[in-house]
Amino acid sequence: MKRILVGPDSEKEIDFEPGEYPLATLETGTALVLRGGQVHRVTYANGLLLVNGKQVRLSLADPRNRRRNGNNNADSGRRDVKAAMPGKVIKILVEPGQSVEPAAGLLILEAMKMQNEVRSPGTGRVTSVHVKVGDTVASGQALVTLE
Amino acid sequence: MVETILVANRGEIAVRVLRAIAEAGLRGVAVFTEIDRRALHLAHADEAYLVDSYLNPESILAAARLAGAGALHPGYGFLSENASFAALCAEAGVLFIGPPAEAIRSLGSKTAAREVAIGAGAPVVPGSEGAVGSFAEARRVASAIGYPVLIKAAAGGGGKGMRLVEKENELESALRDASSEAERSFRSGEVYIEKALIHPRHIEIQIFGDNHGHLIHLGERECSIQRRHQKVIEECPSPLVALYPEMREAMGEAALKIARAAGYTNAGTAEFLVDGDRNFYFLEMNTRLQVEHPVTELVTSTDLVHMQLEAAFGAELQLRQSDVSWRGAAIQCRLYAEDPANQYFPSPGRIDRLRMPSGPGIRLDNGVYEGWTVPMEYDPLLAKLCVWAQDRPRAIARMQRALRETEILGIANNVAFFRQLLIDERFRSGDIHTGFLNDFVYRPDTTLSEAELDAVIAVLAASEPAAELAIPAARSNWSRR
Repeated sequence: MKRILVGPDSEKEIDFEPGEYPLATLETGTALVLRGGQVHRVTYANGLLLVNGKQVRLSLADPRNRRRNGNNNADSGRRDVKAAMPGKVIKILVEPGQSVEPAAGLLILEAMKMQNEVRSPGTGRVTSVHVKVGDTVASGQALVTLE
Repeated sequence: MVETILVANRGEIAVRVLRAIAEAGLRGVAVFTEIDRRALHLAHADEAYLVDSYLNPESILAAARLAGAGALHPGYGFLSENASFAALCAEAGVLFIGPPAEAIRSLGSKTAAREVAIGAGAPVVPGSEGAVGSFAEARRVASAIGYPVLIKAAAGGGGKGMRLVEKENELESALRDASSEAERSFRSGEVYIEKALIHPRHIEIQIFGDNHGHLIHLGERECSIQRRHQKVIEECPSPLVALYPEMREAMGEAALKIARAAGYTNAGTAEFLVDGDRNFYFLEMNTRLQVEHPVTELVTSTDLVHMQLEAAFGAELQLRQSDVSWRGAAIQCRLYAEDPANQYFPSPGRIDRLRMPSGPGIRLDNGVYEGWTVPMEYDPLLAKLCVWAQDRPRAIARMQRALRETEILGIANNVAFFRQLLIDERFRSGDIHTGFLNDFVYRPDTTLSEAELDAVIAVLAASEPAAELAIPAARSNWSRR
């Protein structure tokens, strides 16, 4: 069976036999895989896995589905800075049109009484700020777009 | 005779106290906010009442009246060290389970506690006499004791309102920042100045007193492993005190002197800093149950919450100083919803998977469950994982085993961080200080062996058909709301 193993930064094509390694599901979300007599414990949910305690983000994609929706938003040089954690916007430090250096503060998020500065991942220009002070943001939500 | 006790707290400590209440054969009353409607502590209560905030005395006392609660346990944090709240409880005819309001008042402010300690003849870190009133005074004090100095909030704790000042030109802005942070966190902008010790250990003494004049100490806890001035690992015994057992007696006696001078009863903790020459200095008194009380319970075979209830009800303390003994070693890891790879930033969110350890020597004080959303409004402490074993090396091995069994998915957490910390040679040697984590680089291990990758593929492939159903979840009849 051909699949693409998709990681956060890379992908690789794999070919394997379904059922090649015996797998025993314990409770929902945890499975044991026996391979060469060794027990590997995998706990998983929503694309995240703990493999013998190590956390990774991996998923399988079907190469046939892949080709259909290839060519998805070709790199326009724009990138969103996303919230790594849920929180509340306390302060916005940039405005559209402003140029930023790597690690420049973009805005300040607060969660659980801790404040955290969201910083620019690189050099760029702010094209838009998607949030305002007082907004509650979810993890992964776009905060600022840079180009 | 009190039959019903209200617990004015949430999370794992509310669960801990409600358990003690149930074991005492009494009725436990929980309070909860709108955000905490599905919080775990409610499941351990006989009754539960909605309050608008865990910090609102009127709301909490109204719940106590509704429940007919004769006593109230404040847990830690929130209103636990608020002398006026303790006094309000007394006025409302609700027994406050903790020290008397006057003792909270005289020890609650760090500057007042320092004065009590000096009066009682206990050693304190050199610093300002009381709160510093002006920049000029701060500059005079700081240059007299010598830099680096620490600015601290008089009403504070947990590193809030605290600033390290290396040089005089940083003093003015640090003073301003500390004071405004203190004002926001504790509604008091008062700050004081202390000499900053280089690489001190944080070692604290558990004390306990009844209303009949008996006051004892239950030895020390080592709490030097801290991030942002908040503890993450606590141990009993301290690896240092284990080498120099006479320290326990000396520090215990100093703690008792301070407690006696303040008319202290019930549970409390005297915190000390210890320098490289094993000199110890009184830092502050925590006039409440500590987060890390379980390690003392495990090593001294006591139940501090049960003792708190008994003492509050007027019983005479049965345990005398000569009866207190310390057996084996206990370690606690605070499991936090935080990202150790990103400056320990809090990570609220849904707990998709939760596997907690069990078996010999494990004590888990847990406040969460799988499927629950950890709210962003409160402290990120999820659970306290404690172990006991015959000695420290075996306790470390047991904790490593327990952490192997612990799995949390869905929110960033510090389980893998503890796994790495427990193999650190310096930690294992016991040569630790409060700056230890500043030099510790957390490198999450995410490299999978060939075999592990095969295991992942097997798991992903087995769960694939469900993911490949042609109907998008949102349009199916089975969509979740």
